[in-house]
Amino acid sequence: MLKHFKHRFALLILLLTLGMILAACNKDGDKELSDPNGSKTPDVSETDDGEEDATDDGGPKDGGTIVGAMYSAPAGMFNPIFYEEAYEANILDFTHEGLVTQNDKLEFISNLAEKWEVNDDQTEITFFLKEGVKWHDGEEFTADDVVYTYQAMSDPEYENAGGVRVNYVAPLLGYEAYQSGETDVFEGVVADGDYKVTFKFAEPNVSPLYYASFPIIPEHIFSSISVKDIPEAAESKDPGKVIGTGPFKFADMIEREQYILERNEDYWQGAPHLDSIVWKVVAQSVMIGLLEKGEIDFVASPGGIAPADYDIVADFGNIEIIEQADFGYQLMGFKMNHRTTADVESGALNPDNWVPNKKLSNPKVRQAIAHAVNRQGLVGTGHGEGLLHGRGQPINSPIAQQMWAYDESAVTAYEYDPEKAGEILDDLGYVDVTGDGFREDPDGKEWILNFDYPTGNELRERSAPILQSDLENVGIKVNLRQPAEMSVYVPGLTDDNTDWDLYLIGWSLSSTDPDPAGLWATKAGYNFSRWNSPTSEELMQKAVKAPDAFDQDYRSEVYAEWQKHFSEELPALLLYAQNSLWAYNDRIQGIKILPHSMYQDAHEWWVEDAE
Amino acid sequence: MYQYIIRRVLQFIPMLLALSIIVFGLAKAAPGDPFSGKILDPEVGMEIYEKQRAELGLDKPIPVQYLRWAEKIVQGSFGESITYKGRSVESLIKERFLNTVYLGLFALFITLLVAIPIGIYSARRPYSLLDYGSTTFGFFGLAVPNFFFGLVVIYLFSIKLGWFPAQGTLSSNKLTGFAEFKDRIHHMILPGLTLGLASTASYMRYMRSEVMDVLGSDYIRTAKAKGMSNNNVLYKHTLRNALIPVITLLGMELGPLLGGAIITEQVFNFPGIGTLFIGSVINRDYPVVMAITLLLGVAILVGNLLADILYSVVDPRIRYD
Repeated sequence: MLKHFKHRFALLILLLTLGMILAACNKDGDKELSDPNGSKTPDVSETDDGEEDATDDGGPKDGGTIVGAMYSAPAGMFNPIFYEEAYEANILDFTHEGLVTQNDKLEFISNLAEKWEVNDDQTEITFFLKEGVKWHDGEEFTADDVVYTYQAMSDPEYENAGGVRVNYVAPLLGYEAYQSGETDVFEGVVADGDYKVTFKFAEPNVSPLYYASFPIIPEHIFSSISVKDIPEAAESKDPGKVIGTGPFKFADMIEREQYILERNEDYWQGAPHLDSIVWKVVAQSVMIGLLEKGEIDFVASPGGIAPADYDIVADFGNIEIIEQADFGYQLMGFKMNHRTTADVESGALNPDNWVPNKKLSNPKVRQAIAHAVNRQGLVGTGHGEGLLHGRGQPINSPIAQQMWAYDESAVTAYEYDPEKAGEILDDLGYVDVTGDGFREDPDGKEWILNFDYPTGNELRERSAPILQSDLENVGIKVNLRQPAEMSVYVPGLTDDNTDWDLYLIGWSLSSTDPDPAGLWATKAGYNFSRWNSPTSEELMQKAVKAPDAFDQDYRSEVYAEWQKHFSEELPALLLYAQNSLWAYNDRIQGIKILPHSMYQDAHEWWVEDAE
Repeated sequence: MYQYIIRRVLQFIPMLLALSIIVFGLAKAAPGDPFSGKILDPEVGMEIYEKQRAELGLDKPIPVQYLRWAEKIVQGSFGESITYKGRSVESLIKERFLNTVYLGLFALFITLLVAIPIGIYSARRPYSLLDYGSTTFGFFGLAVPNFFFGLVVIYLFSIKLGWFPAQGTLSSNKLTGFAEFKDRIHHMILPGLTLGLASTASYMRYMRSEVMDVLGSDYIRTAKAKGMSNNNVLYKHTLRNALIPVITLLGMELGPLLGGAIITEQVFNFPGIGTLFIGSVINRDYPVVMAITLLLGVAILVGNLLADILYSVVDPRIRYD
């Protein structure tokens, strides 16, 4: 008896000990914070030392290494014309450069090109290149490199080899003839001497600088390799062989673990202060701990800090957090039309054949749904609230809010008002006739909205059941289906000869041009709502039509009109734009924060503890 | 014996053929393809992916695609990955294979190192404090999810105490020779522990019950009656017989071992076959999926064959002709 008791006792102690260990590990997560916005600035006393050092020595020091974190390893394609992932961009942003880049107001500014001239009808833009710019291998950067880059992207083999950036070359003069192999004379980009290069467009172009902003690759390296073989070439993949003009060279890697960038001594804007920047791949669950410990110095897009972790990181004291709105948003779309089976099979996007989805074809119904959704509730107003802990905002326009074309005043802000939603539906005849608590359609028939959503973005996934309950609150019956992984979900979304009604998707938008046609033009593949509006079509075309559209104010006006039209028609309810949360250790100095990036002018970064 | 082995190896061929057809069929039957899960980019039109599908022959009937794939295999190539542009499947697997083997063996080593002595001790002193303690500990290891245990050890030993690196397999390419070896072991301890302790419980229990079983059998009583020392009885007679089921377990382990440990690999960012496999399944990277499946198929078949051969070593009564 006593023996048994002893054993039980020992067991109990063991369990208690384990329990305590686990509880101790969880401590940080439970920490209560007094400041609801969590916008704590680091304590002055903690940052004092460093700043004094800086003033003592009066300026940047050379040397030192900093470590950045990314949550997933790059696939390994370090060639700008073939890469596809943001993780690869993390490296290419430091190694490669374009003719122009963007400033904090998102205007294009000079980079490898000193200046440029546009002809009167905007069919040609001529760049005068910086002289004395050297590739990482010491060769001179010239106009031939620019021509080569665009020529490679226009190559007949480019797409078959896996290239996807045809967007940048499609408007060039003679693109189709060259791409289809009809001619081997490439007339889209023409060099005149070593430092002058002209882009020629087939039609007047409203944003020629955007098309010329693509990172340039070295002609002297790739011209001997056929475009078809570029993805396999060591020059596209291996450290030491990847050559750009940027401030850092891709010097070494431990594949899928570390990517090491080293200072480019001959950088044309002056040698960088830092010796090296090391990218480490770390699990998201471990990153915060490493950031606190100082093993990681910075983390940015994609991913950054999770909204729920904001307060924890802010509390570390030595970490600066940069919070700004992301270029993009999440939306709940309405399938306004479905395609026919024949069209889905042939892949045709022919609006004439589309079948209206009666359940959602009335814009008033969509507006009622917009009023029924508590979008601020999804975002929350502070830590512990909503899905985003307040790190984002509900939006009403599908144009990125940082853009000059964004116009808050043009759009209807559908405030959360379930009563109003109910009234609109009542007026339209959507009332509950069977007494089951859910509305029937005006004919008294069952009215159930099918709701599909993808996995992959945890916050979006968690928003689906919340949206369902918001809609059911106003008596709309929602059939929330099982979430599907993206590679299954997107075909379902595309091949829409089915019964889909509501869907969730997120878009990340370009920081360069606000033209929404890629997502919302009637025949755009990504117009998953199958929104067919002649007005919208007309406005989008008007906004890019020469010569009126050469004037940015004119475009702004047209886009304002379009945004108004969008928010009335409501092909999708925009849910929220999340804030990106980037963070860096305050030992790094000279970081320049732009709305779209923090990697610009990395040659000016320096650390105070450099030896 | 050799004839038996050759016969068994020849049997592998139809089995692997059947395996490849089934897996190919299943992979293709799953909705989606390598391009459908790509990050939707408003700057990249959907039509581009149509062209790339056609280029890879993904629009052809499935049997045709299978034959295309099989043709390459016969020529000795697994083809090119679709997700990892410009990479051969061989290079992708090679890059991670050694990581997986090292981690797997290291974990197995930890498992056996812990499980066999404790199993034997528990059998000799059943219902003792250590028996209860180890059983509790073992089942605790079995019950706690791997990722959680991984995070706990990272938090304790890496972030708080700073004894071991938290992520990866190597600190720097500059290390060579013994320094590199030491560094790799250093990186392997936490993931190895996490992975190894998870399967300790089952080995421990097997060992315990087998040893108890054998200890109670007639020939052990005879041996003891002859006046043999306890240790002699244990190591000469008992262990050999008690190891048979453990060998079965080990034989079955070879497949999963080479298949990698997805969760552990992810938590420790230890690039191995497991994460490559799951990633390829999610991305529908068919050539990689097929290659890994075949590799695992071979590993499981070979593992079982090895177990069968080992039986005859530990148990002379078992003979193959």
